[in-house]
Amino acid sequence: MLVAPAARADDANFVLTMKGRKFDVAELQVPANAKFTVTVKNLDPMPAEFESTDLNREKVVVGGGGTITIYLGPLAPGRYAFFDDFNPQATGAIVAK
Amino acid sequence: MQRIGFALVLAATLVAGIVAARADFEIRYPIVDYREFEFEHNGSTSVDSRSAFNNNQSYTYELGYGLFPWWEPEIEAPYNAPPGSNSAFGGLTWENTFQLADPGEYWLTPGFFAEYQHAASRANADLFMFGPTVQREWNNALGSGLDTLHTLNLFVTKQVGRNRNDATPIAVAWQSRLRLNSYLQPGIEYYGNLNNVVNRTTMSDPTHRVGPVLVGLVNFYRFGALKYEAGYLFGLNNATERGTIRWRLEYEKAF
Repeated sequence: MLVAPAARADDANFVLTMKGRKFDVAELQVPANAKFTVTVKNLDPMPAEFESTDLNREKVVVGGGGTITIYLGPLAPGRYAFFDDFNPQATGAIVAK
Repeated sequence: MQRIGFALVLAATLVAGIVAARADFEIRYPIVDYREFEFEHNGSTSVDSRSAFNNNQSYTYELGYGLFPWWEPEIEAPYNAPPGSNSAFGGLTWENTFQLADPGEYWLTPGFFAEYQHAASRANADLFMFGPTVQREWNNALGSGLDTLHTLNLFVTKQVGRNRNDATPIAVAWQSRLRLNSYLQPGIEYYGNLNNVVNRTTMSDPTHRVGPVLVGLVNFYRFGALKYEAGYLFGLNNATERGTIRWRLEYEKAF
């Protein structure tokens, strides 16, 4: 096996929910310099795409209750913007402290 | 007459080798852009005081779509103009990118790339190229606050059909870049073709190229995004041209 699991079970997990074509949290506070995961739930009927050029991530989450997991960190302290690529008015940020 | 025939076959074999080598100035990332259409153009041209190595041009045009989160097929049309020749269609290529895990899920993000090229000319052989592509993020490297991204391709090429040779060249491509922001990411990359790994008699000397590259993305949101790469590669041995300019433009739009 070339790769070893990096996201341990005790990595912190944060949840973002999409409803009404927007994120339920405008700013997600996460610990700096630590690995963590973000679960994105999409309660809208249409698909959405979590995208962040700051974080180098983009992933589609299907509608009707679909969920995806984004693996992140360790991040330097700072603000990392994200948006829904299918509806760019839906924006938010991860703030590492 | 027999010598002329032999020379033509040899020239066709060399051109086929050049076709395979020229298409390699492109880093393949182990990431599938699910539900996105992509139109991509790659180009390269060589610079050398030796006429046999100067102005070796290659262009590709690709159309792809992320059908599944783990599979993105693309159709590519390559055009090649070896030194002293006009540009010619090289053959239709079917490319496949397979994403095997999410970025950050494992220490490496693993992927697999496979393509089949059907040569346009009956004098050239069709070919398979396949192998692993892996990526490693190194954020806040050494506590510097700098985020870096490293990608490695290791591809094997095998010719099939008429006019094939039995060589098994290995192409190595590596890129490391600094993620300053989405618009401007400077880096360094290496392209090597280890032609005599398996069969020393049928292919030319290995080639090695290394040089700086700029990578970036401009997001137009609902109107899509434009990605670019521009680099200059220095040849490291006599079998390689002194310099190669390479570029990549990609427009992508999510649906």
